[in-house]
Amino acid sequence: MNKSLAHKERIAGILFILPFCVSLFVFFVYALGRTFLFSLQSYDLFSAPVWNGLGNYLALVGDPLFILALKHSLAFSIVVTTLQTGLALLLAMAANKQVKGKGVFRTIYYFPSILSSAAMTLIFMWLFQRKGVLNQGLSWLSAHGGLLAVALGIFLAVQTLQFVLGRRRYDWVRWGDPFHLIVSLGVTAIATLVLAGLGVGVRDLAEPVTVTWLNTRETFGPLPRTIWAIVAMNTFTTVPTLMLLYLAGLQSIPDSLYEAARLEGASAWQQIRYITWPRLMPVSFTVVTLGIIGTLQMFDQVALLGDAAPLESKITLAYFTYHNAFPPGGTPRIGMASAGALVLALLTLVMVLIQRSVGVSETTND
Amino acid sequence: MTETSSNSVQTTLASGRLSDRPDARREQAAVRRRQASTLVLMYGVLISIATVLLGTFLFALLASVKEDPLEQPFRFWFAQINPVNWAGAWEQGREGSGNAWWGGFSPGGEVTFHLTYAAPVGEELAAPAIEIPRRRPGTGMAAAVYTDFAVDYASDLDIRREDGPLYEFTNKDGVTEQWQQATWHVRFRYEGEGPRIERVPFSSQAPRSQTLIDATLPPTRMERRGRVASWENVTPGVLGYVFNNYRRVFKESVDLNTGDSLFMSWFQNSLLISLGRVALTLVLATTGGYALARLKFPGQRAVFFTMLVSMMIPIQVTFISNYLVIREINLLNTPWAVIIVLVVSAQVLIMKQFFESVPREIEEAALMDGAGYWTTFYKVILPMSKPALITITIMAFQGAWNDFFWPLVLINSPPSAFALPVGLLSLRNAYGGAGDWSLILAGAFMSTVPVLILFMVFQRYIVDNPIASGSKE
Repeated sequence: MNKSLAHKERIAGILFILPFCVSLFVFFVYALGRTFLFSLQSYDLFSAPVWNGLGNYLALVGDPLFILALKHSLAFSIVVTTLQTGLALLLAMAANKQVKGKGVFRTIYYFPSILSSAAMTLIFMWLFQRKGVLNQGLSWLSAHGGLLAVALGIFLAVQTLQFVLGRRRYDWVRWGDPFHLIVSLGVTAIATLVLAGLGVGVRDLAEPVTVTWLNTRETFGPLPRTIWAIVAMNTFTTVPTLMLLYLAGLQSIPDSLYEAARLEGASAWQQIRYITWPRLMPVSFTVVTLGIIGTLQMFDQVALLGDAAPLESKITLAYFTYHNAFPPGGTPRIGMASAGALVLALLTLVMVLIQRSVGVSETTND
Repeated sequence: MTETSSNSVQTTLASGRLSDRPDARREQAAVRRRQASTLVLMYGVLISIATVLLGTFLFALLASVKEDPLEQPFRFWFAQINPVNWAGAWEQGREGSGNAWWGGFSPGGEVTFHLTYAAPVGEELAAPAIEIPRRRPGTGMAAAVYTDFAVDYASDLDIRREDGPLYEFTNKDGVTEQWQQATWHVRFRYEGEGPRIERVPFSSQAPRSQTLIDATLPPTRMERRGRVASWENVTPGVLGYVFNNYRRVFKESVDLNTGDSLFMSWFQNSLLISLGRVALTLVLATTGGYALARLKFPGQRAVFFTMLVSMMIPIQVTFISNYLVIREINLLNTPWAVIIVLVVSAQVLIMKQFFESVPREIEEAALMDGAGYWTTFYKVILPMSKPALITITIMAFQGAWNDFFWPLVLINSPPSAFALPVGLLSLRNAYGGAGDWSLILAGAFMSTVPVLILFMVFQRYIVDNPIASGSKE
């Protein structure tokens, strides 16, 4: 009786999992196996594959484009993962403020994440044009740099003055006192407007800033300038998604912990350092893992740049694979593409493993 | 750390009750002021962040209705968003075609257009050379789309001069001069029968000493050092005036063989792909998730493990074989290819976790009553799963609508078979070189409408549900 029930459950289980299993097997397991096989062959999609042994891997090592793609992918992944994790946490902490209308702010903050990479990339490409809004903003900053420095000076002076005067009366006054901040901001704004009206600190630019952001071979640090532009785009769209994860993490921290800390006299920074950060560790691991996986397969932005940027300044491993499989006007090199793809898969696994092992040691320290 | 506690605000407040000496009350007021300031600063920070995030889109949205998306300096106030011009555009559209919304020039249309020139007293106010130029609007494919010239159907221009009053004008050197002005009323009709013409270009050339100070609609641009005022369209209609670039996305990206709007078919393809993907995801994720959560079957752990690995491996690793499989079963260049190719591991995982949270007793009762596994699943479990189903539906729709990679790989030709994101790429290739970014931005914004609607309707399922958004990648 019981045995036939278990048997029935097995049959049911197999039938239920079957549709998903077919999809998983055909489009993942079989595909992964074939990628491995192709990486040992020479194949152009049309004539029969020819055995090539490790030839493709040797060719990869000797291919400067591959080395470049590998370098770009690694640097891009590290830079973007760091940036987006930090910014997502800051954004979540802002969105977690218990004020009226916080739902509206959360909705607005999430907004950049719902759009397609195609639409977002086009919007950013427009921003990054030579005559685009970004360069205009930089021109403005460059023309008003003196004024802004003066404004900062005024702000710091007014704030410090208030602090010194306030400290005489109450010993609990801190330098960053919010009331003083508002007064300083107001004074600075008025003073700056007056100075701007008098033309102080404003200079006429002989030439507006016209940096070529996309169609260039310039590099800055480990990445070409083109990919730095993609870093900006990618961070902008992924931060809100990751913010939601942090937000859930923040909401799961009991208020009583903060209250206890406040009674003990812990500063805001100490609360973050000793309560928020350790409690968010598990979320941070998820965020970093998702970040690594997501950034290593970044492809859309590169493809959407199309002929607006030279191949060498935008190529990543994911795009290298695609580019070898479907070279514009060339013969597909499936062997090279597959070998590159496996390197990408391996890189993903290794980076996730490194992150996990570093993470484990850090949690045990705590 | 505890030493500083005596300095804290709470202690100050607590000690405030001890006395109502004036300085104690003043201190309390200072503390309250500090708390109010904290709130103000908090809102300030929240609003600043929102401005930065939405500002990007606002800039792009403004540029998408502009004539020149790369104008320097960037203006926030320009002709297309000025309501005064909407009134003019409405009237011109009505006169040209009887359609005040989208305008045009069609048989029976009779259009009047006013231009006012001014010059200092003493200068001659000569009649400007006004014409409807033999010009077709737009860039890129527009030349192949618009074959008719407005000038071929318009009657000769009937121009009447009307002198206006003298007025005082202070020039930039601070010198006040007497100026004279004259308005030219230009009238033309659509002669006989013919096609509806979408846009009527217009131009007026006057000596440099004369300044154009008013017109029914402001000129699109000034050419030849300000001597020639040039209009792209003097019969726009309100929507045709403000959303001209949006209309051009539909009108100027057409299949040259059939004449159908490419943008329209991209939109339909993407809709079909997204709905198909949603349906398939719902089936695979619910059955798969249920099996993994509740049923015992051989190979369960292997399936689960493979599923987790599949979420880590980039799609570029497996796409070649998938491309070949799709080619093998003759689905290349069809929406079906994109629908079936994706492995929905993340959604299976979400459903599995959801089913595990359902109390077992519910199913056991149903099974005891003699219901089979399928009946239990279909009649008892699924109806309880609405929140999870909505979550994976949104994920699947958004993912499919925004998907760029698979449509790029699996649908290459003809252009009418593209999905929307790939279509946007082809728009960029066609118009980006000419700097016609307003059309590209208009296309990008229109492509986001379905996910925007989805976002607005199901906002709380998205923003309040980190699992769904987190595993999207």
